[in-house]
Amino acid sequence: MDGTIDFTMGLSQGIAWPWPIAVYLFFAGISGGALATAIFIRFYKKQTENTAFYKAAAIISFVTISLGMLCLVLDLTNPLFFWRILVYYNLNSVMSIGVIALTAYIPLTAIIALLALEDELRAIPALKVLMPVIEKLKAVRKPMEVMVLILALSVCAYTGFLISALIRFPIINTSVLPALFIASGISAGAASAKMLAVSLFKEDLHSQDMKLLHGAEWPIMFAEAMFIFMIATSLMTGNAGAQSAFAAFHTGEWANVFWFGVIGIGFAGPLLLNFATSKSFSHSAKAFYASGVCAVTGMMCLRLFILYAGQNFAI
Amino acid sequence: MSENIERRRFLKCLGASSLIIAPLGCSSIEEESDANKPHYVMVFDQNKCTGCGECKDACNVTNNLPDGKSRMIMEQQSGGVAGETCPHCGKKNCDCERKYVRVSCQQCKNAPCVTVCPTGAAHRDEKTGIVTMDASKCAGCKYCIGACPYDARFINKETDVADNCDFCLNTKLSKGELPACVQQCRYDALIFGDANDPTSYVSKLLRVKDSVRIKPGFGTEPSLRYIPIVKLGV
Ligand code: SF4
Ligand code: SF4
Repeated sequence: MDGTIDFTMGLSQGIAWPWPIAVYLFFAGISGGALATAIFIRFYKKQTENTAFYKAAAIISFVTISLGMLCLVLDLTNPLFFWRILVYYNLNSVMSIGVIALTAYIPLTAIIALLALEDELRAIPALKVLMPVIEKLKAVRKPMEVMVLILALSVCAYTGFLISALIRFPIINTSVLPALFIASGISAGAASAKMLAVSLFKEDLHSQDMKLLHGAEWPIMFAEAMFIFMIATSLMTGNAGAQSAFAAFHTGEWANVFWFGVIGIGFAGPLLLNFATSKSFSHSAKAFYASGVCAVTGMMCLRLFILYAGQNFAI
Repeated sequence: MSENIERRRFLKCLGASSLIIAPLGCSSIEEESDANKPHYVMVFDQNKCTGCGECKDACNVTNNLPDGKSRMIMEQQSGGVAGETCPHCGKKNCDCERKYVRVSCQQCKNAPCVTVCPTGAAHRDEKTGIVTMDASKCAGCKYCIGACPYDARFINKETDVADNCDFCLNTKLSKGELPACVQQCRYDALIFGDANDPTSYVSKLLRVKDSVRIKPGFGTEPSLRYIPIVKLGV
């Protein structure tokens, strides 16, 4: 009786999750990625001072996660109902678990930012009241950093789990999505924190931290490319539903976003800027910012592609 | 689907270990195998449905939905209606047999909307096992809408919360009546009852009639059954 009956219409029109959710996924990824990288470097190199990169990452993670939350709330059918997510829980729901993680993560990023910017805040007389608080918080700095490192990675991964639970969309319902979102979150988060460290905190382009980050960039990018390749091949070789979803990679406007945005700007951009140009250019500030912007743009395109192409190709 | 189960288990561990605020009274996974509980099912007989659409109107009125909105739609699958192209053959004038299909919440036994809902607004009624809404808890995040493989949920524009067909649980069933659409159907195209009760008309019908479920591959175990028009040569 296969195929004797089926329906193609549905009660909800259009896609359930529009662009604000993609922007939210983007911000959450940057926030988690930037902070995780900074704290990882701090532990790895046993730093005790507030480095330029650490300061930049702290600001970025707090600002982006706050903006992300704003997107999330504004996308609710009625933003005034937001409190309900905070009051009622369902531990089977990925979203609910994410909310729990975020309620710990957001205040912690704020505290980390306070500690990281201690010197800058001290210079502002109006903020004197904060100083005793900062002194007190310093005592528990290390455990908080460990905690926020775990939470930052969880937030990156959770955005992947969040959407991969949508079973009817073959592009979205893949188990490598959380890993992909961690990898791309780290690369875009590190890129944006690097740019802020250089522009605002006058970090030297070729400092120790920058060299370390630069060395980690390519393996992470390679991992990202592998994850995308895995998703594409599993769709191409999968069942009929998966195969029809593979069309998202070569038809329609979202295919353009994928090829120009994700592959062209996100992957080819930084590669060309670094390896296909003269040494003097590829070491210049221009190339540095350009490839940073490429990484961040590529990541945004990836989120948009996954969310829109994913929801457009349902089974 | 083993992948999903794995993932869920993983997430549960993750959630449990990263719990800082342990919310009391969170819902546990629903295990429903006891045969004492009712299992309400609806059967849609495509051979009898004429596409009159009165079921929709009855739903709209009974459940106080915004004008013209119902918790179900009729999808015309084939057959010419004056001025419209036939979805089956693509012609304006055709001899295809008219076929309609009811699109509504499938009342999954293993309901993704219930699993994903962060607030427990989309939940399973304890007594009847029917998937229904607690509108006062819904945050309007639309997660359930994306998660439902049948695209059977929608946002009620008047209340700003999600909605789905719950067999008129609170409007008719609680009064001992049949769902409004079933009562309304003049052609007996809708049959409703408890499949766990061997003496009910539905159980008898399902024993003798072939019926199909839509998209069973998702493993959601829908409670809506369809008796399709099966004719050679169409
Ligand atoms: S059909 Fe959709 S709304 Fe109804 S129970 Fe299944 S998943 Fe939930
Ligand atoms: S829209 Fe409402 S019912 Fe649906 S998942 Fe969100 S909170 Fe739950």
